[in-house]
Amino acid sequence: MTLAEGVQLVLFGLLAALVIGTALGVVLLSNIVYSAFLLGGVFLSISGLYVLLNAGFVAAAQILIYVGAVNVLILFGIMLVNKSQPFTPVRRGWIRLIATGGVCLGLFALLSTMILGTSWQLSTETPVGDGATVLIGMHFFSDFLLPFELASVLLLMALVGAIILARREFVPDEPPTDAISDALKLPERPRELVPAGREGSESPE
Amino acid sequence: MDFTNLASQLNAGIILPEGIVVATLLVVLVGDLIAGRASTRWTPYATMAGLSLAIVALIYQWDTATPLSFLGSFMGDDLSIVFRGIIVLSAIATVPMSIRYIEQSGTSLAEFLVIMMTATLGGMFLSGANDLVTIFVALETLSISSYLLTGYMKRDPRSNEAALKYLLIGAASSAIFLYGMSLLYGLSGGKMKLLEISQSFVAADSDAPIGIIVALVFVIAGIAFKIAAVPFHQWTPDVYEGSPTPVVAFLSVGSKTAGFALAIRLLVAVFPVVSEQWHFVFTALAILSMVLGNVVALAQTSMKRLLAYSSIAQAGFLMIGLVVGTEAGYSSMIFYLLIYLFMNLGGFTCVILFSLRTGTDQISEYSGLYQKDPLLTLCLSICLLSLGGIPPLAGFFGKLYIFWAGWQAGAYGLVLVGLVTSVISIYYYIRVVKMMVVKEPQEMSDAISNYPEVRWDLPGLRPLQVSLILAVVATSLAGILSNPLFTLANNSVSHTPLLQAAIDQQQAPKAVVPPVATIAPAVTSVAQR
Repeated sequence: MTLAEGVQLVLFGLLAALVIGTALGVVLLSNIVYSAFLLGGVFLSISGLYVLLNAGFVAAAQILIYVGAVNVLILFGIMLVNKSQPFTPVRRGWIRLIATGGVCLGLFALLSTMILGTSWQLSTETPVGDGATVLIGMHFFSDFLLPFELASVLLLMALVGAIILARREFVPDEPPTDAISDALKLPERPRELVPAGREGSESPE
Repeated sequence: MDFTNLASQLNAGIILPEGIVVATLLVVLVGDLIAGRASTRWTPYATMAGLSLAIVALIYQWDTATPLSFLGSFMGDDLSIVFRGIIVLSAIATVPMSIRYIEQSGTSLAEFLVIMMTATLGGMFLSGANDLVTIFVALETLSISSYLLTGYMKRDPRSNEAALKYLLIGAASSAIFLYGMSLLYGLSGGKMKLLEISQSFVAADSDAPIGIIVALVFVIAGIAFKIAAVPFHQWTPDVYEGSPTPVVAFLSVGSKTAGFALAIRLLVAVFPVVSEQWHFVFTALAILSMVLGNVVALAQTSMKRLLAYSSIAQAGFLMIGLVVGTEAGYSSMIFYLLIYLFMNLGGFTCVILFSLRTGTDQISEYSGLYQKDPLLTLCLSICLLSLGGIPPLAGFFGKLYIFWAGWQAGAYGLVLVGLVTSVISIYYYIRVVKMMVVKEPQEMSDAISNYPEVRWDLPGLRPLQVSLILAVVATSLAGILSNPLFTLANNSVSHTPLLQAAIDQQQAPKAVVPPVATIAPAVTSVAQR
């Protein structure tokens, strides 16, 4: 083993431990702010793995998008809501925990058998490294032109939709008495809620 | 890659219909920005005109010599043209029913139309997408616009709840689907085009390895969510109940059609190696959907929920055509989709009209409708009876064709389940019809006794009336005069090389193995793993 390979191995071990550790922290800690910051840690360590794989562009995109945009947005969300509610433990909550754990372990076992049991077709081409940006650009304007352009329509619509959801509508604030009270609501009246005891006519779902 | 004459290699004319939809979308968006609220007078008509133009462009592309465009990203074969046509038609039919509905709820119409056209666009691209990236971007375009449409009535908690549920379940299923696609990318050694992936599977020549099975399962989870097949249906009733009704109409036809287009193309093109396994999974999904959809629909009290469960059941019937995989199977499925478009949208138009006049969608409130509004009663009865499959109407012929194709291919169990469950379905459809035509005035519900005078000259009701009449006429006549639709469905299958190759491949082993036994090896081969 050469020195470079040794450094790679150690770095991989470190980054993998970081990813797993921070991800466990996201799930297990009860304080949501800690979870959000640890999520940033997960994204950062994954981008470290990308660097190790010689994919500098993907690493940069990962940091810019996930840490810079998604994670900051999550933190803003937490900050703006700013509601601390006492969390009452659910009765027999441990059944749920055990069931979730069992499903996750089963999935993990299935996927790892699959990954280990498959003969993966490895690419023989040498990684382009820093030339990746140019190559990705070439793909965007040749064989991935259609999805690239379609994504622009998708983003336009997401923008319009976000504005619709966030904008202030001109609905009077005081409790209205006339037909305006139905503004921005479904024309159908809500169902009368049946008391839980005699709910026989509803679907079993 | 030669960049100098890239434009000539793209063959971009194939996506002319989609281009027209994008242009209409921009016209409506910018026109609404400039004209403000006054634009509600013309935007729906501009939308319908643009979408109709897209249909015309689709007709001109029928049997095109070079269907592959954008260097293999998009396949404009006849199969995709039929599916794109159905999606655009469902969008055209949704516009007139939304005009009055949106106005009465006080929201703005132009944005609604823009988001619906984006959803249409995503569905159209999904029907023809030929590589993994295009499939995913198109699927997300369709899904994200559907979430936005679902939550459009933002002051209503039911709409918010529906949107949030749809978003969360949809995002989870997208993630699973994406994981399946990344497995496909890895297993094929970095291929993106669907046919290249399947070629690399065949070249690897391993007998259905576990990797492909896991990828298949994940991909099916994503598809089954879109077509609302049991057990991936949990979102359907709640989302259908809480969304604005025109959105429900579009979701139940347009979005479902796009899901079926994706299912056919992805499964047939990528997974011929594990063909027995996916047929087995879809058999199970079809039986579960037919049984659960029809049985749970019996207990519903709300019309929208009833139609939600009925649409789950209809997806089960459609899957029979997909499972048998013969030429008649695929064309019966397309034929049924075309008929389903008319009868389901007609039914939703009636439900919208009723809820606009009375403000409710409870089934019990429909009692005695016949005495106040005979036209609405007649239209709703025809659409519901057609959905149930009563003989002279279109739905009967659609079901007949699907069951015939299934019986021919030897899927006796599926056809029997289909027959029994459609008898069950007739019961709950007829229950509504019976409710509407009760004779005694004292059985009339409160909503009916306060029924407003029938007026069609209110703004937005005239287009609704026209579309209602058109849908009902199509539903009643499409069965008897079904030959054009029938030929269309048959030609679209027989002119599509992808399906022809799959049909030939399926018939080759059938000469050796009797068709009834094809499911049994699939069961054992799954059980062995």
